[in-house]
Amino acid sequence: MQRREFFRVSLIASTALVSNSATASSVIKPRDNQQVSDISFIEKRPLITHSDRPPLLETPRDAFVNAITPNNELFVRWHMPRIKTHIDLNSYHIYVHGEVKERLYLSVDSLKNDFEAVSVTVAMQCGGNSRSAFVPTTSGIQWGSGAMGCSVYKGVRLKDVLARAGLTENSHYITFNGSDEAVMKKIESFKRELKIDELSDETIIAYEQNGEDLPFLNGYPIRLIIPGFYADSWVKALVNINVTKEYIPYYYMDTAYRVPDNERESETPLKHAKNTKPLELMNIKSFIGYPTSKSKIYAKSNLRVKGIAFDAGSGIKEVLISLDGGKRWESATLGKELSKYAFREFSYGVKMMQKGRVSIMAKAINNRGESQPFAEEIAWNHGGYKYNGIDSVTIDIV
Amino acid sequence: MKLLVIILLMIVSLEAAAIKDVKMTSMTFVIPTEKDTIVIQRNCQWCHSYGYILNQGKQSKEFWHKVVLKMRNTYKAPISARDEVLATEYLYRHFGN
Repeated sequence: MQRREFFRVSLIASTALVSNSATASSVIKPRDNQQVSDISFIEKRPLITHSDRPPLLETPRDAFVNAITPNNELFVRWHMPRIKTHIDLNSYHIYVHGEVKERLYLSVDSLKNDFEAVSVTVAMQCGGNSRSAFVPTTSGIQWGSGAMGCSVYKGVRLKDVLARAGLTENSHYITFNGSDEAVMKKIESFKRELKIDELSDETIIAYEQNGEDLPFLNGYPIRLIIPGFYADSWVKALVNINVTKEYIPYYYMDTAYRVPDNERESETPLKHAKNTKPLELMNIKSFIGYPTSKSKIYAKSNLRVKGIAFDAGSGIKEVLISLDGGKRWESATLGKELSKYAFREFSYGVKMMQKGRVSIMAKAINNRGESQPFAEEIAWNHGGYKYNGIDSVTIDIV
Repeated sequence: MKLLVIILLMIVSLEAAAIKDVKMTSMTFVIPTEKDTIVIQRNCQWCHSYGYILNQGKQSKEFWHKVVLKMRNTYKAPISARDEVLATEYLYRHFGN
């Protein structure tokens, strides 16, 4: 506790120093080693639980050694507290309407039987993943880095569904929303909006995750999957697809989930950016799943560092490992590319000869030549979005 | 007759497979107990657990006041003018920076 207090005090002192330059913000490492809870939620193993209502569950670090996140470990984030807990597939349907030639009521059976089934392996990440790195603390859930995962989704192309309904010359935007609702009646539900021409063939309405029905907490029975995009638009328990001519402003599009619309996507705590834009494509990121700071590593033993890397779909070209604070970097071995949107496993073998404390860093580079900045190079934004600093794990060699 | 029973059973089980009833897990998130805890109890729990409060980190009084206003204005929580002040003070007292 005393140590924590010391850090807090020194943090305040350091931000106070910087505040004179009117940029009183910085970035530290995201929270790590948060305890998983004693109890588990439906279809989940015990995870880091930030809230039970609405449920907010985070995946611990040690899950990120595999490209595919098991269904019972995938993170959970709902916005609305009233989640439908009784789901009857005999009556459940998606309503496709608005600027379409023919309105559709599609049951889950109809999606499975009347459309071509497609599969995509894709990384999913909350826009606020790693938010706890931002100082001063931004509003929003203070996630560590476990609000992400990667799954194989099976479903139907959104384009095929829209083609069935028939688009018109006035079909420009689509509003999506799920069946979850706010408590107070006047609040609009969690609505997201996409431009029709932004949709890729890989945008799907999924009914399976890793070969099983979607887990209830991940959006059973169907959810929108938008490869490469942050998951805020991956609407769960999808029930409504409204095609419109004009853009419709919504709270979760126009107030929340936005970043500064400038080169560094940054702003200062005292002066928020005037121009903002929605979160869309994910930044390149990598993360070490093993070892964790709890691992006990013996000197002169063979250590295999393992983790995952991903980006918005250009594909991972290289993952580099540093053991000296980022001065020298060496290539890790990459696992198979399951898809350009998927987690790519990496591993790196090393024998630590000396006892003592070592920090292991991982940095990914994608096929566009983009790489991750050091944590301290990340610029602050008031929503705490899009953090992708170089990950590091400090271990004791004993 | 036997066949009819079997068919009926099959229909019933098919119907059941199409229905999913879920019991949500609840967890207790403990916030400090004092004279104004009741203000938090009566205003915040309509929509969210105390996890949301505990998770926000240590924040300024201005931050907490803005949160309380956001809960009233955006999320329509029925927070009175008096409770707006008391809730802000409680939050800052226990989760202030």
